[in-house]
Amino acid sequence: MALETPPPRGPFADAAAQAGMLVVFSVRTARAGARALLGRRLSWRECLEQSWFLASVSTLPAVLMTIPLGVLVAVNIGSLAGQLGAESYAGAVVAFVVVGQAAPLVCALMISGVGGSAICADLGSRKLREETEAMEVMGLSTMERLVVPRVLAAILVTVLLNGVVMAIGISATLFVHVLLGGSSGGFLATLTTYSDPGGFLMAEIKAGTFAVLAAVVSAFKGLTAKGGPSGLGDAVNEAVVMAFVLVFVANTVLTELHPLLLPPKGEF
Amino acid sequence: MADLLVRAARRRTRGLFDLLVAWGVQVTFYFRAIASVPFAPARYRKHVARLVAEISFGSASLLAGGGTIGVIFAMSFVASTQVGLEGYRGLDLIGLTPMSGLMSAMVNTRELAPLVASIALAAKVGTGFTAQLGAMRISDEIDALESMAVRSLPFLVSTRMAAAFISVVPLYLVGLFASYIATRVAVVNLQGQSGGTYDFYFQLLLAPSDVGLSLVKAVVFAMLVTLVHCFYGYYATGGPEGVGRAAGRALRTSIVAITFVDMLLTLLFWGLSPSLPALGVQ
Repeated sequence: MALETPPPRGPFADAAAQAGMLVVFSVRTARAGARALLGRRLSWRECLEQSWFLASVSTLPAVLMTIPLGVLVAVNIGSLAGQLGAESYAGAVVAFVVVGQAAPLVCALMISGVGGSAICADLGSRKLREETEAMEVMGLSTMERLVVPRVLAAILVTVLLNGVVMAIGISATLFVHVLLGGSSGGFLATLTTYSDPGGFLMAEIKAGTFAVLAAVVSAFKGLTAKGGPSGLGDAVNEAVVMAFVLVFVANTVLTELHPLLLPPKGEF
Repeated sequence: MADLLVRAARRRTRGLFDLLVAWGVQVTFYFRAIASVPFAPARYRKHVARLVAEISFGSASLLAGGGTIGVIFAMSFVASTQVGLEGYRGLDLIGLTPMSGLMSAMVNTRELAPLVASIALAAKVGTGFTAQLGAMRISDEIDALESMAVRSLPFLVSTRMAAAFISVVPLYLVGLFASYIATRVAVVNLQGQSGGTYDFYFQLLLAPSDVGLSLVKAVVFAMLVTLVHCFYGYYATGGPEGVGRAAGRALRTSIVAITFVDMLLTLLFWGLSPSLPALGVQ
C-alpha cells in the first residue's frame, strides 16, 4: 500500500515519477477522506489536535507578517494614488490587494511553510521509525488515521486564519492611511463600494485550496521520506519548495477564474 | 492562593528569562558568524565555491523546481503576473490603464521582486541549510569538527553567508527579470493593452537607483535568511523530527523578519510617501 520512490534514473524520469506518485497519493487521500467521512470513522480527536497545533504555530507569525505588509501597501498605494490625483480610491485598491491577494498568500506561506514543514517532519519521523508500517500491519490505514485529519485541520485553520489576516491587514492599511493624512471616510466608502461578498468568498476558496495543496504535498513527502535525519531534512526542504510553487501557481489560476466563478459586483 | 500566584509569577518570569536567554544565544550566534565573515571565505575557498554551486543550482531535482534559479524564476513570474492583473484592475477604476507600466516599474522593483525572491530563497536554500546543519548536529558531526580543531561556526555558517552573498546577485536579477516579463505579459497579452504604451510608461518610470536599492534589499534579505536558517539548524535537537521542526521554525522566523526588514528598508529608502520623480508631480 505504501508508495516507494523508484531508484533514481535521471532528473526527468525522477520528476515524472514523483509527479505521478503525488497524483496517486492525492487520489488515495481523497478516497480515504470519503471513506472516513462516510463510514463515520474519522478520528475527530486527531483532527482537533492537529488544528490546535497548526493554529498555535501559524497565527502569531501570520499576524506579525500582515502588519508590515499592510503598512507597505498603504504607503505605496496611498502615495501612488495621491500622485495620480485619486486619493479617494485608496480604499478600493486596498480591498483588491489585501482581500484578493495579500491575505490568502500570507495564509498560504504560513500553512505551506510552517504547517507543511511540521506535517512533513511529523509523518517523516513516523515513517523512519517504521511506525506507519506497524500501523498498516495492525490494519489501521495511515491515509485515514494520519493524512486525512491533517488535511482537514489545515483547511479549517487556513480558512479561519484568512479572516484574521484580512481584518488585521485592512486595519493596518486604514491606520497608516489616516496617519499619513488621508481621510478615513473616503477610504472606508470606496472599500465598501468595491469589495463584495464574492471577493471574500473567493479569498476563502483560495485559502482552502492552498491548505489542501500544502497538506497533501507535505504529507506525501513525509510518508515517502527515507535515509535517516538528512533524508528527512531534504524531504522537508522539498515539501516546502513544492508547496510554495504550487500555491503561487494555484493563486494565479484562481485569480484568473474568479470572474468566471463569481461574477464581480457591477462594472467598475 | 498567594502561593499559587507567586508560583505563577515565578513561572512567568522564568519564561521571560528563558526568552531573553534564547534571544541572547541567537544574537551572539549572529555576531560570531558575521565576525568571521572576513577571514572564513578566504580560508575555506573551495568550500565556498562548492556552496555557491549548491545555492545557485541546488540539488536540481526537477520537481522541487529544478534548482534555485528555477524556483526563484517561477515564483517571481507567477507573483508578478498578479501585479499586472490586479494593478490593471485598480487603474481601470480611475480610467488610467495606460499607466500600467508604472505599476511594474514601481511595485515590482521596490517591493515584490525582493520579497518574493527572498521568500523563495528561504524556502529552497534556507530550509536546505537548516536540514544540512541540523543533520550534522544530531549525527554529532559538528562536535567532530570541533574536536578536530576546526571552528565549526566560521566553517559552516560564515562560508554559507559568503556563498549566499555571491550567489544572490545573479539569482535576484533573474527574479527581477522574470517579474518585469510577467507583468508585461499580464497587461499586454492577457488584458490586451497596447505594448507601446506599456513600454513607454515602464521605461519612463524605471529609475536605475530603484533597481540598485532593490538589489541592496535582496542582498540584505539573503544574509538574514542565511543567518536565521543556519541558527536553527546549528542548534537543532530531538532526532530527525527535530530537524524537520527546526526547518519550520526557521522559515517562520525568517519570513516574519524579512517582511519587517522590508518595511523598514522601504521607509528608509523612499520615505513615508514614495514619489516617482519621472511623473513630474511631487
